[in-house]
Amino acid sequence: MLQPFFEWMQGLAFSAFFLESIWPTPIVQCIHLIAVSVFAGALLIVDLRLLGTGLKTASLPEVARAAQPWLVWSFGVLVLTGIPQMSSTALKQYYSPFFWWKMQAVFLGLVVTFLIRRHIASKEEGHYGPVWPKVVGVASIALWTSVTIGARLIGLLS
Amino acid sequence: MIRALFEWVDAMPNSVAWRESLNAYVYLLTIHVVSMGLVAGIISYWDMRLAGIALKWIPVSKVKSALFPWLYGGVLVNAGTGLMMLYSQPMRYYPNFWFWFKMGMLVILAGNAAYFHLSIEKTVEDWEHDPVAPLKARLAGYLSLAFWAGVIVTGRMTAYSGLVPQWWLDLGLG
Repeated sequence: MLQPFFEWMQGLAFSAFFLESIWPTPIVQCIHLIAVSVFAGALLIVDLRLLGTGLKTASLPEVARAAQPWLVWSFGVLVLTGIPQMSSTALKQYYSPFFWWKMQAVFLGLVVTFLIRRHIASKEEGHYGPVWPKVVGVASIALWTSVTIGARLIGLLS
Repeated sequence: MIRALFEWVDAMPNSVAWRESLNAYVYLLTIHVVSMGLVAGIISYWDMRLAGIALKWIPVSKVKSALFPWLYGGVLVNAGTGLMMLYSQPMRYYPNFWFWFKMGMLVILAGNAAYFHLSIEKTVEDWEHDPVAPLKARLAGYLSLAFWAGVIVTGRMTAYSGLVPQWWLDLGLG
């Protein structure tokens, strides 16, 4: 069902520009990786706090508030730099099982991070008991690690 | 001398075995990238505290004690997988401009960290509660942020061994 959409993306002049030019793709990949690191840091300081470790000097909502702008802005950069990488190799992505693995993990990661975790981290520690914050912290780390693994395997095994 | 060392490692039986393995490089690079997220992500918050960009209300020593155990764990995995990739393909990395650029940045980062630890950090009790650290500490933070970004960029560019200055190609290392 989605194949025509991926064929259309692959045929765009925008995609051809990235595929045929020398520097734009590595530049976009480098910015993407820097954004991955910023995103990972903003995720981890909150996830570690949910797990009862890390920045225990500060309250959970304080840590979450400090991380939120970095999380949102770095995710925006990830999307912006991810689009040309996806469109210029759209058919490779379409036929790669790791691309679909990554996209499913991204979807679940977004639900966990920006809906469930955001809600839990906005309340003081203990509000949801000792177990649920840890479950959400582990789920967040596992899902975004899975996104990274999937992304790397697109390039290595597809 | 360096070339001889790399060629010696290249001929080691385990280096050959890992190089010829179907999956070794895939596993190593994937773990290297995941642990890069941990190392760069965690260290960026330490650097941003020093630079006065984030976590300004938390004392500097508390940020360090909270984040550094995770940082050390990440560095262990990241450096370990990096060394294993180098061990398995030394003659791929030897002529690579970006590999040496990255190593140079890591040396500068190690020097910056050592200078901070041996000099600037000695007075941390005097300023650790200040939202904005003294100029030297802020500079160390900004320098570290810039060079870690550089390490990520040059690490990614290692795959583009042909996109290098002409003078490097003229050295004829390949």
